[in-house]
Amino acid sequence: MNAQNHSVAGRRLPRLDGVGKVTGKHVYAADFKLPGMLYGKVLRSPRAHALIKKIDTSRAASIHGVRGIITSADIPAIRYGTAVRDTTVFAVDRVLFVGHAIAAVAATSLEIAERALEAIEVEYENLPTLFDPEEALNSNIRIHPNWETYKALPIIARSGNIAGQARIRVGDVEAAFAKSYKVYEHRFTTALQHPGYTEPRVATADWDANGNVTVWCNTQLPFDTQNTLAEILDLPSARVRVTVPGIGGGFGGKLRIGVEHFAALLARKTARPIKVMSTSEEELTAALPRQASVVLVKTGVDKDGHLLARSGKIIVDCGAYAGSGPGTAAISLQVMAGPYKTGALELEGIAVYTNKVHSGSFRAPAGPMANFAMECQMDMIAKDLGLDPLEIRLRNVVKEGDPGPSGEIHKSVSIEECLRKAANAIGWHDRKPEPGRGKGIACSWWMTTGGSSGVYVKINPDGTATLVSGAVEIGTGAITGAAQILAEELSLDLTDVNATGVDTQAAPFDYGAQGSRTAFSVGNACLAAAAELRRQMFELAAKQLDAPIEGMSLQDKHVIAGNKSISIAELARISRLAGGGLIAHGTAISPAPPYDPTRVQNHPLPVWNTPSYHAHAVDLSVDQATGKVTINRYVVAQDVGYAINPTYIEGQIEGGVAQGIGQALSEEIVYQDGRVMNANLTDYKMPTAMDVPEIESIIVECRSAAGPYGAKGVGEPPCIEPPAAIGNAIAAATGCWPNSLPMTAEKIAAALRVQQS
Amino acid sequence: MSFDFHRPATVTEAVDLAQRLFPTARFIAGGSDIVIQINRKKIDPSHLIDVACLPGLSGIAETSDEFTLGALTKYHTIETHPAFAGSLRALIEAASVIGGRQVQNIATIGGNIVNASPAADFVPVLLALDAVLDITGPNGSRSVPLQDFIVGPGKTSLLPVEIVTSIRLAKLPARSATAFVKEGRRRAMEISVVCVAACLTLEAGGSRCASVRLAIGAAAPKVFRAKAAEAYLEGQLADQTSFAEAGKLAAEECAPISDVRASADYRRRLVSIMVERALTACFERTGEERR
Ligand SMILES: Cc1cc2nc3c(=O)[nH]c(=O)nc-3n(C[C@H](O)[C@H](O)[C@H](O)COP(=O)(O)OP(=O)(O)OC[C@H]3O[C@@H](n4cnc5c(N)ncnc54)[C@H](O)[C@@H]3O)c2cc1C
Repeated sequence: MNAQNHSVAGRRLPRLDGVGKVTGKHVYAADFKLPGMLYGKVLRSPRAHALIKKIDTSRAASIHGVRGIITSADIPAIRYGTAVRDTTVFAVDRVLFVGHAIAAVAATSLEIAERALEAIEVEYENLPTLFDPEEALNSNIRIHPNWETYKALPIIARSGNIAGQARIRVGDVEAAFAKSYKVYEHRFTTALQHPGYTEPRVATADWDANGNVTVWCNTQLPFDTQNTLAEILDLPSARVRVTVPGIGGGFGGKLRIGVEHFAALLARKTARPIKVMSTSEEELTAALPRQASVVLVKTGVDKDGHLLARSGKIIVDCGAYAGSGPGTAAISLQVMAGPYKTGALELEGIAVYTNKVHSGSFRAPAGPMANFAMECQMDMIAKDLGLDPLEIRLRNVVKEGDPGPSGEIHKSVSIEECLRKAANAIGWHDRKPEPGRGKGIACSWWMTTGGSSGVYVKINPDGTATLVSGAVEIGTGAITGAAQILAEELSLDLTDVNATGVDTQAAPFDYGAQGSRTAFSVGNACLAAAAELRRQMFELAAKQLDAPIEGMSLQDKHVIAGNKSISIAELARISRLAGGGLIAHGTAISPAPPYDPTRVQNHPLPVWNTPSYHAHAVDLSVDQATGKVTINRYVVAQDVGYAINPTYIEGQIEGGVAQGIGQALSEEIVYQDGRVMNANLTDYKMPTAMDVPEIESIIVECRSAAGPYGAKGVGEPPCIEPPAAIGNAIAAATGCWPNSLPMTAEKIAAALRVQQS
Repeated sequence: MSFDFHRPATVTEAVDLAQRLFPTARFIAGGSDIVIQINRKKIDPSHLIDVACLPGLSGIAETSDEFTLGALTKYHTIETHPAFAGSLRALIEAASVIGGRQVQNIATIGGNIVNASPAADFVPVLLALDAVLDITGPNGSRSVPLQDFIVGPGKTSLLPVEIVTSIRLAKLPARSATAFVKEGRRRAMEISVVCVAACLTLEAGGSRCASVRLAIGAAAPKVFRAKAAEAYLEGQLADQTSFAEAGKLAAEECAPISDVRASADYRRRLVSIMVERALTACFERTGEERR
């Protein structure tokens, strides 16, 4: 079908879940309640690294209203985790960070549960601590002395405090440095950032008479949560049902189990339904934030600014457990290579344990950290060589058919178009319009994560369609996007599609609301389901109309065969009586493209699927005395392949940039001696509406081969470039590059003072 | 956390209740400070006495020589009060940057004063205007200059059984202007890293400072008046050089801490920059009258 002729897909239609959400009727997991429900609270460690000498719960247990207390002694000794199976429900023998769960209490009220926590007596014996990831690399202190006994994905390379180490090597980097006209070496640091979802992590669990548990929660990955729960509870996974009533944002922070296990275990212990919800303090001390990192980049260029060699090393501070650290460290390598041709590469990503909160896969994990380092250095090189920052990028960007870092072939490449469009829109010709004001640009590429999607689609006797997917509508509008594709293919209106919530018991498997893949993969699964439904309908119509299948089409909710037609509703009614109804199972998986495995070592995501390309440009002013940054304009040009619904693409761009502005200028979970100093939303500074300018989105559509109608992943990319684009603009405005995130007014003022003296 | 909530009908009733329930009761107005303190377990009162509903404690009254602001006056009321658009502009400037819209519509100025945070935004403005508080307690009413009222971080001379009923501000002489400036990491919902209120009165002729009052927040254990800078400016030419010098003097007078919001060094630098800027703004605002 020609995308130009679409009547549902590609249009700015209101989202299916919109009315419920804006009227407050939508039930989020945090709203969910059951009669007779208890409340659960988690006791968390006040120490960063210590032996647990004794846990005495007797006093707490005797408090009136306390219905159950569990510690590691009460549950199967199981370690779980995605890359490395190093994680336990509760601290076992040792606490590894301030905030580490030690015990959980169920009580008839939150207040009683809180009082019970205070009554649990724990004796500790301090152990030496490790907070600095670079120090942890070489230290004799072990955060996991038994790391060798842990299971891990075979691809992950571990040793000591290193939870994972990946490499990409292309060509002879030393020789290429030797040949270079100039070599630049810089060090950057980035901070720990909370995903900033509105709804804290929450779960309600209840066991039925047959020993099955249902968990209502706000996970992004219901099937992953189901599996992890089954392991923790030591049950076959079919006995665990995970359902997501609604989710108030996730941004990668709700991929892995959060509080679901506490709820399920406490509910089993007390034989009562129970709800556990994180507080803001728990969110900021014991959730799954974006890792802090140290990035070292060394780049060699020729006289004209062509990239000849790059070596890079990113040290990702994954905290007390590996979490998403190994994957993040690995993915950063593709980001460090960037959408550029580079003669030789030697990139290394290391995830290292420290005595801090373990971290997750916040939106475009590794993207902003590696991009900040790499793209700021591009500007530094340009400045040193007397080149325009746009020009040095245009000289190096990949073109159609160029090899990527893993030896894959870049296809449907649009990076030059994105750069030019962003630059034009910001008024690049006038890069320093007045003193204290400057413009910056940065670009990147990013994958559309693969993974399989399945949908069931049923045509109802009124001619509408029910879409059952295992993918959570996380707030992006992705399920509306998939429904637009389904409606398009079936000649229905979008409002004819009824998308259900996710329930692992009823829905087909989906790899989950992650990795810029939901609209892409669920959309593809809808295409497949629609094809199957068309087949079923045409077959039935052939009988009813006595017409050949060849030449049949769907138009305006009817099957058309020459001058005969029959409505979809009629076919659904006939089929229901005659043979079970019109039902299809559509599936999708996009296989990874071919690549050169000799280039990539110990990398869980060695090659990127269906990459997208994008460029950001910003115009800002810096108060030369206080260092305060004011963003005047912000432009994003992003290649989305095909815009399934431009409104929600703009929403993704605006939200991603807002998060990126937060990471660039204000957000940071601050640790001092192992303790979080700003574990509240007063001092953890996400930008407000007053801090985010109007964001101008330019949607570029360079069709992909794999996505529905040529779509590419959209959700993660917008938060990748803001730190780099803003850093480069600050440099244009002040002459100095802040090399550490967040680039607070205080840091900028300090840099300005150094420059003045 | 659990408490009984009381809604007295009059100030006298509220004071009586407080006396009866002493020391386990606290007053609550907008609740935007005290509820957070309860939630964060800083305090654990058994009784909350709601003063927000008390009659006669909100709104702005004006006589020929002073303004009286009810203790329950909300920031939104101040921001939109026409009489403050002139020389008392600092009141509007501070009111419009406290929290966000929701806070401005629920929080009270009395709460800001009694909470006595070193980083309170409204306190410096009132201090720069030599505000006087009217207080009612079991033994009747008394008046105290704000300067003497706040004694330390979170500490005031208010007895737990007393209610602040109003705040009085003398009208400013001719050739006067005020300004409030605030720095923080965000443009809203932000606790000041430093805030400065200035009140400048020029001598007849308009070139010299007759009197200057400078109050600085978040740069010492309590909001303070930069007396050395004020004294220096009296009789000085009102120009950039002297304003910058006043900034330096104020920076020497302040005693900031380093915390998660900013370092003491940066705060000190901000004091110097912001004092100069606030004075410059005042000077520009007197422009009409100077000529
Ligand atoms: C999100 C948010 C943002 C904020 N931003 C700012 C900001 O930018 N700048 C700023 O300065 N503050 C800010 N605050 C703090 C707070 O809003 C202000 O200090 C506000 O003025 C407090 O007033 P309230 O009526 O809510 O006080 P309450 O919380 O009701 O009371 C505060 C204290 O004063 C006492 N009290 C109140 N009224 C009286 C009275 N009439 N007599 C005797 N005692 C009384 C109470 O017992 C309590 O101890 C913010 C608060 C929040 C929640």
